[in-house]
Amino acid sequence: MIRMFLSGFACLGFIALSAMFLIWWERKISAIIQNRMGPMLTGFHGTLQPIADTIKLLLKEDIAPAGIDFLSWWLAPFFVTVPVVTAFVVIPFSSSWVPYDLNVGVLYICSITSICVLGIFMAGWGSNNKYSLLGGMRSAAQIISYEVPLLLSVLLVVMESGTLSMQGIVHAQEHGWFVFKPHLAIAFVIYLISSTAEVNRVPFDIPEAESELVAGYHTEYTGMKFAMFFVAEYTNMFIVSATAATLFLGGWQGPFLPGVAWFLMKSYFLVFFMMWMRWTLPRVRMDQMMSFAWKLLTPIALLNLLISGWFMLKV
Amino acid sequence: MAIFLYIKKFFISVYSIFLGFRVTLKNMFKKSVTLDYPLVKQPMKERFRGMVDLIPPDCVICYQCIRVCPTAALELAHVTKEDKKKEITKFVFNAEFCCFCGLCEEICPTDAIYLNKMYEVVYFDHQDMLSIDLMKADKYKFLNEKNPSCKI
Repeated sequence: MIRMFLSGFACLGFIALSAMFLIWWERKISAIIQNRMGPMLTGFHGTLQPIADTIKLLLKEDIAPAGIDFLSWWLAPFFVTVPVVTAFVVIPFSSSWVPYDLNVGVLYICSITSICVLGIFMAGWGSNNKYSLLGGMRSAAQIISYEVPLLLSVLLVVMESGTLSMQGIVHAQEHGWFVFKPHLAIAFVIYLISSTAEVNRVPFDIPEAESELVAGYHTEYTGMKFAMFFVAEYTNMFIVSATAATLFLGGWQGPFLPGVAWFLMKSYFLVFFMMWMRWTLPRVRMDQMMSFAWKLLTPIALLNLLISGWFMLKV
Repeated sequence: MAIFLYIKKFFISVYSIFLGFRVTLKNMFKKSVTLDYPLVKQPMKERFRGMVDLIPPDCVICYQCIRVCPTAALELAHVTKEDKKKEITKFVFNAEFCCFCGLCEEICPTDAIYLNKMYEVVYFDHQDMLSIDLMKADKYKFLNEKNPSCKI
């Protein structure tokens, strides 16, 4: 019981710190890619900037627009944040640092993070704003479409390791990371692309496309509710990266350094890659994105699954 | 043939994505083009014409700058001592009138009057910029050891 409480508090603290760090890091990476300085004045190289932002958001007025569907509008931030927090239950930070090692860990993490789309759609529906509604509907379409290639690529990992437990998958990679096997390398690329779409980031950020929809589903939110969406977005990014690190890059395994350091290094490298992608690629059009999911990514994932499954049976 | 075109298009788009990543990776190691502004100042060019400044001991009180000034932004007065030496009693610069043409700098025979590199010309009080006493050493408070790029 005490262990559960402690790990829960540790996870919450980690989420807050990680989100703050990622917000600062995103701003810094965007700055160095665009040959700027980024935040410099608050703390050493602007390290205290996210804290200042948080205080600003805490002090802001919580505005409820006219004509909203109050229940769904009010509940939406929780529907986005709570699944993200609960997903930390199965993430293995180290051989012993895991809140609870479920034997269906992969299934749990894939299903719990899909609940986010419900919150996003509720936010879009409840806001009484056409931009929000469009953003929410786009997000629902996008996440449901990209769930298919994502799960097909995760399925390959499960087939290879023979277990659904996250720790079991890490242990199955003792003699070489999965990403170095050719069929799993393809699965890794598919996972990376579709997870970028899952967390609504560039080049798949059409639910919150600034130039078309004001800010998408969270246009009408202010203060702490907006902060919850913001934290959920960045934590979601960490979760998909941590899952990718666990499933394909050997999790906490690595020489010399302790497991936590390896795990965080791998996860944050993937987060960095996502940020790098954000400041490199332009946004795709809605129809381009849907046809990319259904006409290219899903067939490749299916073919990959079929061919490697056939090889697994044969050997 | 359509399938070959499709495959070609696929590879071209993958290649162009990697090209984009290469460009941004190169940019990551480039030096920032912007400055950490309030702490680091932009060094001004040689020909920049900032505020009118004076080296008081070099001035020979020839009144050339007063004559040449098209907007009458400078005001000079002097007294002649008993040993026939002149001494400036008043040398005031009106920053509101000045058009920063640099004629005073050109005409000065001893290069005593010149336009410095100061560009942060902000005053809390309007009266302060109407009569800047050029004889004072600390007339421009931004020109100090901490801001060497502002020096001439």
